[in-house]
Amino acid sequence: MNVLEVQGLCKTYPGFRLQGVSFSVAPGSIMGFIGRNGAGKTTTLKSLLHVVHPDAGEIRFFGLDVNEHEREIKQRIGYAGGAVDFYKRKPIRVLADVTRSFFDNWDDDAYRRWLDAFSLDERKTPAQLSEGMRVKLSLALALSHHAELLILDEPTSGLDPVSREELLDAFTFLRGTGVAILFSTHITSDLEKCADDISYISGGKLLASEPLQGFLSRCAAEGAGTTLDEIMVHFEKESLYDKFAE
Amino acid sequence: MTSLLNKEFRLAASPLSWIFLVAAGMTLLPGYPILMSAFFVCFGVFHSFQNAREANDVLYTVLLPIRKQDFVRAKFAFTCCIQILGFVLMAALTALRMTALAGAKPYVSNALMNATPLFLAFALLIFTAFNVFFLGGFFRTAYKLGIPFLFFGIAALVLIFVGEALHFVPGLEFFNAPGGERPGLQLGILLAAAAVYALATWGSCRASMARFEKIDL
Repeated sequence: MNVLEVQGLCKTYPGFRLQGVSFSVAPGSIMGFIGRNGAGKTTTLKSLLHVVHPDAGEIRFFGLDVNEHEREIKQRIGYAGGAVDFYKRKPIRVLADVTRSFFDNWDDDAYRRWLDAFSLDERKTPAQLSEGMRVKLSLALALSHHAELLILDEPTSGLDPVSREELLDAFTFLRGTGVAILFSTHITSDLEKCADDISYISGGKLLASEPLQGFLSRCAAEGAGTTLDEIMVHFEKESLYDKFAE
Repeated sequence: MTSLLNKEFRLAASPLSWIFLVAAGMTLLPGYPILMSAFFVCFGVFHSFQNAREANDVLYTVLLPIRKQDFVRAKFAFTCCIQILGFVLMAALTALRMTALAGAKPYVSNALMNATPLFLAFALLIFTAFNVFFLGGFFRTAYKLGIPFLFFGIAALVLIFVGEALHFVPGLEFFNAPGGERPGLQLGILLAAAAVYALATWGSCRASMARFEKIDL
């Protein structure tokens, strides 16, 4: 059974439409979710987390409908949406204390290991940390309750190259333990290092959702490029020069 | 719910929510519209909502393993805790004014509302207005605080005016007796106000849960 199945997800905002997005994430796999700014990545992820209400479509985690089993599902998933931007004046220790009380499977040892790995000092407040360190804090909180699926929105943005590399190692390790990861990013080179599958969204439509290697081979054969960066530029680039000249 | 309430008190609560509880002490002031104490208790709670909004509390909380409607319940529970604390303080000071201090000159000659069960009933009605107008209004958007507070402010001022004016109506002077005349009637009004508070808060909470559920955050 897939840890996540999304079928026909639709959401309309003024000036934007998410159109029938469907994909699935298998246990112990890493899926990269790519698309340019405003393509619908965040709307999709927010719909998964029941923060945005889709107009149509079905979302099932671990075979359970998200509308009926919201609390149970959230116990089994971890979410990190970039840098911590909540309660930035409260000490990390207090934030962790409060957060841990919500999770049945909170593991203090794991939490301490992640703090140590990310060199985070619990006595500090998020406001005292750099953007990159706040991303790490967000990840430490998301990784400390034995989530079976991690949903990560731009988890490597703002991180230095060494931290990014370390984080990708951590993702590979977690995959080995059976954890599935769905992560959206603009830094597509990160995905080439660790992703098994890729979902590519453009203008609210899912253009592809398939194994990464198959996607890269197909695009290379079509002359669309050999890397995810090249492929995205090939499909999406609009000439601003021409636009201005019109 | 315990975890959510713990979160409300440890993260979301502004110190001003506690500090404004001191306003319950205004119950002892002669020559002052003492119903303002109920308004100030609510003003303290308003600061917690403002504090939480600035700290992105809504998004942090709804991503925790809870149902969205539990977030609303916790906010109502937190508000009721503060209001009940304020009410208990006001009730204790009212009892003091009605017994040991009943003969005190400033209270006997007080032109404004004296602390009586009727005063406590009006305080509960002001709390009710906060729970209906402010909390109910806030959960239409989960970020707009000003307009809901304005509506509450208007409702509170009307209640304060009515409360202060009531004992000037011929035949109702007894409402302002420092020792509390016709205690049966006054306690009956207090119980009715408590019922209104409980029912209206419950109704506002239900409506807020339904509204909040539909909001795209």
